[in-house]
Amino acid sequence: GSGDGRGAARSASDLIAYKNVNDMPPPRDRELMIQIDQKNEAILLPIYGSMVPFHVATVKSVSSQQDNNRTGYMRIIFNVPGTAFNPHDANSLKFQGSIYLKEVSFRSKDPRHVSEVVQLIKTLRRQVASRESERAERAT
Amino acid sequence: MSDGHTFSSILLGGRGGTSPGTFNVSSKKISWTKSGGGGGGGKTIEVDKSDIVNLTWMKVPRTFQLGVRIRDGLVYKFTGFKEQDVTSLTTYFQKNFGKTSEEKQLSISGHNWGEVDLTGNMLSFLVGSKQAFEVSLADVSQTQLQGKNDVVLEFHMDDTTGANEAYGVLAALLGPKDSLIEISFHIPNSNTQYVGDENRP
Repeated sequence: GSGDGRGAARSASDLIAYKNVNDMPPPRDRELMIQIDQKNEAILLPIYGSMVPFHVATVKSVSSQQDNNRTGYMRIIFNVPGTAFNPHDANSLKFQGSIYLKEVSFRSKDPRHVSEVVQLIKTLRRQVASRESERAERAT
Repeated sequence: MSDGHTFSSILLGGRGGTSPGTFNVSSKKISWTKSGGGGGGGKTIEVDKSDIVNLTWMKVPRTFQLGVRIRDGLVYKFTGFKEQDVTSLTTYFQKNFGKTSEEKQLSISGHNWGEVDLTGNMLSFLVGSKQAFEVSLADVSQTQLQGKNDVVLEFHMDDTTGANEAYGVLAALLGPKDSLIEISFHIPNSNTQYVGDENRP
């Protein structure tokens, strides 16, 4: 399930994927596949020949699909302000005037890779969300 | 080519992925030739110096990326330069093309909120004034407004369909494994810079 994203969304602005460009993993292969960096809690998406990092806390939900032609599809929906059950209040005030990346979809020649990536993102997302909500509870 | 420079193992990047080749620069032009036999090996991309609009450098993991924006709005991305190449090429571009290359920074924070900038055919998403990514509007097959606040861009499914010839050549050279097919932006009511006014191809 996508969950309510509350724990993660609340702290998304404080979570930073990388401090230095060299901390990013090098592309694993020239074809630039979607990569998951568990250590830095980041999803790296190949967009126009470059790997672009997104912290897993910015992700609201992720899903995959497969068609008959052995093609995989993956969709990532990011947290944006103003959606139900996602009171991004602190952030939307802080980042008023920002434009949000809301969704990206990829088509893949490798459906197995897609479902693997989706599982990894879901697991990582759960881990980060539960850690952040524990942290929030301790703080109160 | 006594007055030029050659760099091997330079990746040309596009929507679907990257392709290795040799990058060459002379006082008249920039060119790149795909390496290897078959699958487009030997294919060349040439940019005459008069067609260059601007040149940018960006530090990416382990290496540097050169962005060459040409007149019709397309940007070629060449990755695999060393730090000393950046210095020598910057001087070379200045001297031979009369162009000062700008430095861009890659957004590494992993955040999904920022600004959208439209220049030529390219849409850039900037996070904290650093570039997260750039996409070519020449590849957008459809634009939709979803609800009041969301803009959806759909990309051509056929990778060899480019709205301009240069991109068609570029796309044919690259064999994507994971390729971007759709992207959407959420523009809150509080935003004053409205991207919906642009005429998109």
